[in-house]
Amino acid sequence: MELVKCTDVNKKFGKKHVLKNVNLTIPRGKIVGLLGKNGTGKSTLIKLINDMLTPTSGEILINGEHVGVESKKIISYLPERTYLDKTNTVDKVIEYFEDFYENFDSVKARKLLKDLELDTKQKLAKMSKGMQEKVQLVLAMSRKADLYILDEPLGGVDPATRDYILDTILTNFNEGASVVISTHLIADIERILDEVIFIDKGEIILQSNSDELRKKENGSIDEIFRRMFKC
Amino acid sequence: MLKKLLKYDLKSIFKFLIIFYSLALFFGALTRIFLSIENSLMMNIIGQICSGTAISMMFSILINNLMRLWVNFKHNLYGDESYLTHTLPIEKRTIYASKIITAAITLFVSVGVIGLTLFIAYYSKENVELLKNMLLPVATAYGSTIVKLLLAFLFIVFLEFVNALQAGYTGIILGHKMNNVKTGYSVLFGFGVYIVIQMIVLLVLLIISLFNPDLMNLFITNQMVNVELLKGVIYLTTIIYVITFIIGYIVNVKLFKQGVNVD
Amino acid sequence: MKFEFDNNIPIYIQLVEQLKIYIVSGKIKLGERLLSVRDLALQTKVNPNTMQKALMELEALGLIYTERTNGKFVTNDQKLIDKYRKECADELSNKYFISMESLGFDKIEVMEYLKNLGGDK
Repeated sequence: MELVKCTDVNKKFGKKHVLKNVNLTIPRGKIVGLLGKNGTGKSTLIKLINDMLTPTSGEILINGEHVGVESKKIISYLPERTYLDKTNTVDKVIEYFEDFYENFDSVKARKLLKDLELDTKQKLAKMSKGMQEKVQLVLAMSRKADLYILDEPLGGVDPATRDYILDTILTNFNEGASVVISTHLIADIERILDEVIFIDKGEIILQSNSDELRKKENGSIDEIFRRMFKC
Repeated sequence: MLKKLLKYDLKSIFKFLIIFYSLALFFGALTRIFLSIENSLMMNIIGQICSGTAISMMFSILINNLMRLWVNFKHNLYGDESYLTHTLPIEKRTIYASKIITAAITLFVSVGVIGLTLFIAYYSKENVELLKNMLLPVATAYGSTIVKLLLAFLFIVFLEFVNALQAGYTGIILGHKMNNVKTGYSVLFGFGVYIVIQMIVLLVLLIISLFNPDLMNLFITNQMVNVELLKGVIYLTTIIYVITFIIGYIVNVKLFKQGVNVD
Repeated sequence: MKFEFDNNIPIYIQLVEQLKIYIVSGKIKLGERLLSVRDLALQTKVNPNTMQKALMELEALGLIYTERTNGKFVTNDQKLIDKYRKECADELSNKYFISMESLGFDKIEVMEYLKNLGGDK
C-alpha cells in the first residue's frame, strides 16, 4: 500500500482553480522533492495532505485511510510559516509536543537545539524568525514519523544555513520513513532527492527518479526544470 | 487527549484573565479599606473611586472572558497556531469539546471571582439585610427562597452567555468557510446566529401563546401577570436555551468536522 | 570521507567513482568492513537509497561483497583491485593526453614535458 495516494484531487478557492486533477503517489523510504515555482500549488497540496485544507473533489489516502487522526500520528509536518504560540518558551513547546505526540523524542530535540546553540528557556517572541524556523525544524525532525512533510524548509535562510538544514534532515529522518520537501530552490537540495515531482500551474507535470532523470535529460534537475519552465 | 487539550486551553485563557481577576480583587479590597475609614471625606472619595474601578473591573472580567474565548478560538483553529492544532492526532469533536468546556469553566470561575470581589468590597450585615429586604418580596412572590432565586437568575445568565459564546463560534466557523473577508463574515454570522436564537425563543413563546390565552395576555396587555405563568415562562425559556445550546453544539461539531480551510 | 558532487551527473555514478578511488588507493583497506549504508550516507551526506544503489554497483564490479549478517566488506582480491586501479589510471591519463593534445602537444612532447617537470622537482 502506498504511503500517500492522491486520486483526481482538485482544489478551488472561489473561481481560482489551484490544483487540477492531481494524481500522485509517494512511496515509502524515499526522499521526494516537490518542485515548482512560487504559487504553483505546492503548499496547497501539502496542506491538503495535512488536513489544513479540504479537497474540492478527489481523494487523498494515507496508508489507505482518509486524512484523520491516524494519518496525523504518522506525519510530521513543517509548515512554511511560524506557527507556535510566541509567548511560550521553547521548553514549554517541547512539553506540548511530548504531551500530544507519542513518537516525539524530546531528548533528541534538546540535543539538536543544543547543537544549534538555542536556549530552550528563551521565549519564542524573543527569537529571530530564522531561529524560530530552526526550532520548528528541530521539532518536526524529532518525531519518529513515517512521513516528514517539509514545506519550503530552506525558505528564508542564508546559503550556509541551507546546508546545515539539509544535513539535519538527512541525518535525522526516521529509518524507512519518507520525506517530502517542497522548494523552489532546486539546486540546493537536489543531491539528496530520490524522486522529483514537478508541479506547475496546479498540475503535476512529471514524477521521476532523480538520477534517471539526470541521465535521460543529461543535466542537473535544476537545469532540466529551468529548461522545462523557461524561468 | 481531552484532558491535555483542556490543560492548554484553560491555561491560555486564565493566563490572560488573571490580570483582571487580580485587579478586581485588589480594588475590591481597597474599596473596603477606604470606605471603612470613617470621618474622612478624602478617604471616602478615594473609596468611591476604588468602588467604581472595582465594578468596572468586574464588567471587564466578563467582557474580556468572552472576547478572549472568541479570539482564542479563532487563533487556535484558523490563525497561525491552527497549523499546530489541526495536525495534532486528535478528533475535531474533541478539539471543539475542549473549547466549550473551557468556556464553561472560565465563565464559571469569572462569576465566582466577581462574587468574591463583591463580598470583599461590600459585605456587611447591613448590606446583606438590604439585599434580603430587596429580594425577599420577589422570592416570596415566586414561592421560592432568595438563594434559589439567585441561583436561577445566575443559571439563566450563564445559559445566555454560553449561547452567545457558541453563536460566536458558529460565526467564526461559518465565516472561515468564505474565501475572503473572513473576520467580517464571522462577526456577521455570529450576530446572525445569536439573533436567530433569540427569535426562536420568542417564536416558541408566541406559538404557545396561540393556544394559551394567559400567555397571550403577557404579550398584548399591560396588566400584572400571575406569578405561576411567569415561572412557567422562565422554565420554558431555560429549556429552549438548553436545547438551542445542544443543537448549536451538534451543528458546530458537524460543520467543524467538514474540515477547515486555512490559508 | 568528504565527497563533492556535480548535480549534472547522477549522484550514484559519482559515488561509485569516488568510492572506487577510495578502495583502489587503499584508503579503505583490503578486506576492511564498511560502515552501514545509513552511516556511509550520513558521512557523505547523500540519500541512503542512493548510497545503497552505489554499493550495489560496486558489488556488481566485485570490489565489495556482502556477508549476510556482518555487513559489507572490501574484496580480498588484490588482483582485482590492481586491475581497477590500472583502469582508473588509464582513464585519467587518457583524459590528460586529450587535454594536452588540444594545447598542441603530441604524445612524445607530452612525455618529454612530464620528464622535465619531474626533473624540476
